[in-house]
Order: sequence, then structure tokens, then C-alpha cells
Amino acid sequence: MKKRILYVFVSLIVAFCWTFPLSAMAAEKPIVVGVPSSLKTLEASEALKAITMAVEEINANGGVQVGDKKRPMEIASIDTRGGEPGVPIADALLAIEKLFLEKKPDAVVLGPFRSEVLLAAMDIYSKYKMVSINVAMTPKFVSKYKGDPEKYKYCFRMLNAKYVVGYLIKTFSKLKKDYGFNNVYIIVQDVLWANAIGKGMKGWFEKAGWKVAGLDSYPTGASDFSASLIKAHKAGSHVIMPIFDMASSGTLALQWKDMRVPALPVGFISPLMGSKAAETFGADVVDGVVNIVFEAGNIPLAKYEPATRFFDAYKKRWGEELQAGHMPSEAYDSVFVLAKAIERAGTLDQDQLIKAIQETDYAGCIGRIRFKDHEIIFGENPLEKSILVIYQWKDGKRVPVFPASIAEGPISKPKWMK
Amino acid sequence: MLVYGFINSLILALIALGFSMTFGISRVANFAHGAFYVLGGLLTWLFLRKAGMPYFVAAILAVLIMGILGALMYRFLLQRLRGLELSEVIATFAVGLMILELMRCFGVMGFQYRLPAFVRGSVSVFGTYVGIQRLIIVGAGLVLLILLYLFVHHTKLGLAFRGVAQDDHTAYTVGINPDKVSMLSLTLGAMIVSLAAILILPLGTISVDDGYDILLKSLAVCIIGGLESTLGVLVASFILGYAEILTVMYISASLSMVVPLLCMLIILLIRPSGLFGKYKELEERI
Repeated sequence: MKKRILYVFVSLIVAFCWTFPLSAMAAEKPIVVGVPSSLKTLEASEALKAITMAVEEINANGGVQVGDKKRPMEIASIDTRGGEPGVPIADALLAIEKLFLEKKPDAVVLGPFRSEVLLAAMDIYSKYKMVSINVAMTPKFVSKYKGDPEKYKYCFRMLNAKYVVGYLIKTFSKLKKDYGFNNVYIIVQDVLWANAIGKGMKGWFEKAGWKVAGLDSYPTGASDFSASLIKAHKAGSHVIMPIFDMASSGTLALQWKDMRVPALPVGFISPLMGSKAAETFGADVVDGVVNIVFEAGNIPLAKYEPATRFFDAYKKRWGEELQAGHMPSEAYDSVFVLAKAIERAGTLDQDQLIKAIQETDYAGCIGRIRFKDHEIIFGENPLEKSILVIYQWKDGKRVPVFPASIAEGPISKPKWMK
Repeated sequence: MLVYGFINSLILALIALGFSMTFGISRVANFAHGAFYVLGGLLTWLFLRKAGMPYFVAAILAVLIMGILGALMYRFLLQRLRGLELSEVIATFAVGLMILELMRCFGVMGFQYRLPAFVRGSVSVFGTYVGIQRLIIVGAGLVLLILLYLFVHHTKLGLAFRGVAQDDHTAYTVGINPDKVSMLSLTLGAMIVSLAAILILPLGTISVDDGYDILLKSLAVCIIGGLESTLGVLVASFILGYAEILTVMYISASLSMVVPLLCMLIILLIRPSGLFGKYKELEERI
């Protein structure tokens, strides 16, 4: 009997000791991570799932060490709808303010991804002194930040469109060198970031001796691209450079295939991004298409394990592979960047937190993360800097082809190209 | 350009036909038209992908369900609002918004929502390669127009439709129930737009935002052609179809979505009843 009482007593003590740290963490006030974004879009909805994974991992490890206390993280999200066609920027901004006023987040991750909304939201971040790590790629973020660094010091950003341009330049240079391609037709979505890439690339093409047969900018929601494809065909373009993040841009690939335009698409077509694209559109439609994934981790990489680990963990947690080519992996990493910065700062005081984020040096699934001018530096080796990934559809599979550090094969000239 | 202009024009006609027919008979401007388009496509996708039904069965079932939805919308909503035109517009718009936003809410997003093409591949038409699916759309669109013409002019029910379209009070005196006919017109309109969705959506993906775009295009076509005129729909579709492709070709692709709105504004200014419409003809003359 005494033995049994002893066993029960010891068990209770063990149980108490085991649960104490968790219950102690639970008693602490959570760090509220605000996620205001256009959450009913594929990219942002998957990014929110990635953020949820990061928060769950952090909490499972006891939370975030703030001074002498471990505090759990909590997500407060709001659908700003800013990424949907026709939704006024003012409405998206109102949603952001609503989140700030009602949920009082300690910091923001993901943020609005439509450039126009982020640029306007930067003033709201300043007004509420809200530290934010955003994902929108607009090149104007830097100029706005540099225009008044004190006012916009609260804003950080993960990816700049200039890196996309840099990656594309190297890819096109290689295509010219390997296959003699020198005639391109540019088709982009009529939004700030895509236009910036289109115009930036046009300037480079002209300087690099390419013939730019045309640059067409289609409004969001457009679903017929035959006129541009006819012009590209007539001009004898070797390459079509599409830059689109809208659902209807899948039509571009289908039309390109149907019209038998003998030009290789190299750029960004979001519907062709995910692993399911071959099944959805047909392996023959996507075959040969070269697409750019904006961050490692949104595609598994045999040569960079953290990217594959995140990709697989996402599938395990949510039961299906992520399909977006932009946002989920960087959103996942941004939570850890924030958590580690809070731990280094030992406080949620904005100025100290900003300083700590600036000093970030973190090996994430997108590569090594460090900031300069409030945005991440991208390079070509994930062990040194964060990376984008260019891949080519080959036999229904996505094969990374650039940068060299993670490439699993060269860019091949599709069989149908003479 | 001529080939694609022709195809795009027939696609526009197919999209707007249901809207025009419903209005022509029942005088109800069905602002849920775009939502019916997306829902029709989505139901087909669900039956096809989730329930594993054959494509043909999935399509027929979706069209029938949409027809029932159209009938129910008339019976339980619009019948009570008959004659209150603004209320009808607001009510149908609300139904459309509800359908689209519920779809968004339940996670209809992403690129996997795509109907497969009936036949893959492409053929050369006057030296331009065209996807076979687009040719099917052209064929089906023309057949649908002919069938509708025959139905309206040579069947008892079709004649009843025309009777109500001309004057519902007079139709009543000869034993035609305008409410029943109007309900059937909503049913037919919903079925036609669902059929259009099943034909057109294999060209791209099913997106909730398409609902708003389809409504806008239908309105533009019907206002330009004349709200109740089938011939007007056809002519306006060709005007818009070619105007859009010419704009992309020779001016700027970014203006392509402005074209329908601009055409609509111009027509409203110079001929408010549309090119072939008679709805406001008397007021115009005065």
C-alpha cells in the first residue's frame, strides 16, 4: 500500500515538473503576430499555413524567450483582400488598421503582397509603430524607406524584384550563349512589381543585344493573350517572357501551346508554379517551360536540405504539397527571424527590436538571411545568402536549373524547338 | 487576328446570351449571372473530380442544378419583387455576391480548379493554329443560337416566352402565366450560362473573380446590343470581340479591359436602348 502511495506521489511530482514549463508559458501573455494579407489568395493562404507551422514549432519548444520569461506566440490574421482584382487599396488599409486596433499585434509578418497596398501600408506601420516583415516585392519599397528612414524604420521586407531581374538576366544570358536566342517578347501583368520587372528586363535586353519584339501589359483578370502570341510568332521570337501572378494567366500557357508558338516561355506564370500544374494543365503543356520560384523552400531542393525539410514538413502538416511559388517559405522564415530578434533584444520595445532584426544572421529554408537597407540580401548560394530558384518542367517534373549551387540539371532546349 | 477575333466574339455571345434572354422575357436583369457561370463550372468540376462522374454526366447534372437554382431564385425571391426593378437588381446582385463570396470563403482558390478540354490539340484555321476546344466553343455557340431561335419561334413554350416578352398582361388574357414563364426564363438563362461555363472554362482555370468579370462583360454586350435582343447580343459581341483584340494588337494590352466599358458608355450616350433594343425606344424618340 505504502509503495503504491509512493508511486502515485512520485508520478504526480514528475507530471507536475513536466507540465510546469508549459503551463508557466501558457500563463505568460502571448506575443501576438499580426498577419494582415489577402488571405483568400493561394499564395497568402499557404503563407498563413506556413506561419502557423512556425508558430506551432516555436510554441512546442517552449515559446520565445523575452528577458527572463518564455512567452508563447499567437497569430492574429485578417483578410485584407488587397490582392483581389477591383478591391480598393483604401479597403485593404482599413482592414490593416482594424487588425491593429482590435488585436493589437506586437509585430507583423507577411503583410500585404500587392505592391500598391504595401507602399500605402508603410505609413500605417509608422503611425502605429508596428514592426513588420513584409513580402511584397516592389522596388519602390527601398526608395520610400530611404526617403525617410526614421519614419519607415518599422518596415522590413523579404524580397526585392531586382533580384528576380538579376536571376532572369543570368538565365537569358545563358540561353543566348548556349542556344543563340536573341529575340524576346515580354508579356506582363499590369501591376507595379510585374511592370517593373518587364521594363527592367526590356532595358537590359536592348543593351545586351537582344531584339525586344514587344512588351504587352495585361490587366489583372485578362484571359486572352492571342494577340501578343500572334505578334511574338510573327516576330520570330525565340523566347516569351511572361510575368504573372493571376489565376487566369494559366490561359497564356494553354494558348501558347494551342497556337504552337515556337518560343520558349521563361519567366513567372503562377498557375504553372506548383507540383500539380503538370496534372492540371497537362505535362505536354508545361513541358520545357522555365519558371522562377521566388524563394527556395517553395520547391524542394536536393542540394539544400532546409528547403526540402520545410517543403516536406508543410506536406506532413497540411496533407498536401504547397503550390505557391512565392511567400510560404519566406513567411515561415520571417516568424523565426522575428522570434530570434525578440530573444536577442530581450524585449518587444520597437527600437531595440528593429536593431535586432537588422542584425539577423539566420539559416532559413530560403537560405542565409541577412538584412541590408531593411530588406534581405539575395545571392546564389543558400549557405551564404537567400536564394530564388529557376526551374524547368521536364517530363512532368520541376528540375532546378539555376543558381548553379542548387541546380540539378541544365536548361534544355525542348524537343519541339528546332 | 481575324480568327481569334471571331472566336472571342462568339465566346462573348455565349457568355451574354443567358442574361439577354432572361431580361428579354422576364425583364429581370439577373446580376447573379456571373456567379451562376462560376458555380456552374465549379459544380461540374466537383462532380467530375470529387464524385468521379463521367464528364458528360457531370456537365448535364451541373446544368440541371443551375436551372433549378435559377427557378428557385425566381420563385422565392424575385416573384415577390416583380415590378420593383431596382429591388430586383439589388436582390440578384446580392445572390451573386453571396454565391461568389461563399465560394471564396470555402477555399475555392488555387489553380487546380480546372475543367479539362473536351478534345486536346490544335488545328490550323486559315494559317493560324487554334485549339480544338475553341473550335468546339464556336460550334456549340452557333448550335445553341440556332436551337434557341427554333425553340422560341417554333415551340408552344417558346411562343409563350415571346408572348410574355411582348406584353405580359395580354399574355395573361390568353392563358399564359407570366410568372411561370418568367421562372422558366430564369431557369433557361441559368442553364445557358452554366453550359457556357462548361464550354469556356477549359480554356483557363475556375476563379471566383471570373464571376464579376463575366457579369461586366455580359452587361456590356447586352447594353451595346440592346438588352433584350438576341441579334443585338451577337452584333455587340462581334464589336467588342474585335475591338478588344485590335486594342491589344495596335494600342495597348493594358487598355483591353477598358474597351467594353468605353463602348458601353458611348452607346449609352448616343442610343440608350442599345443597337437593336426597343426597351427605351419610345423614351428616346420623345
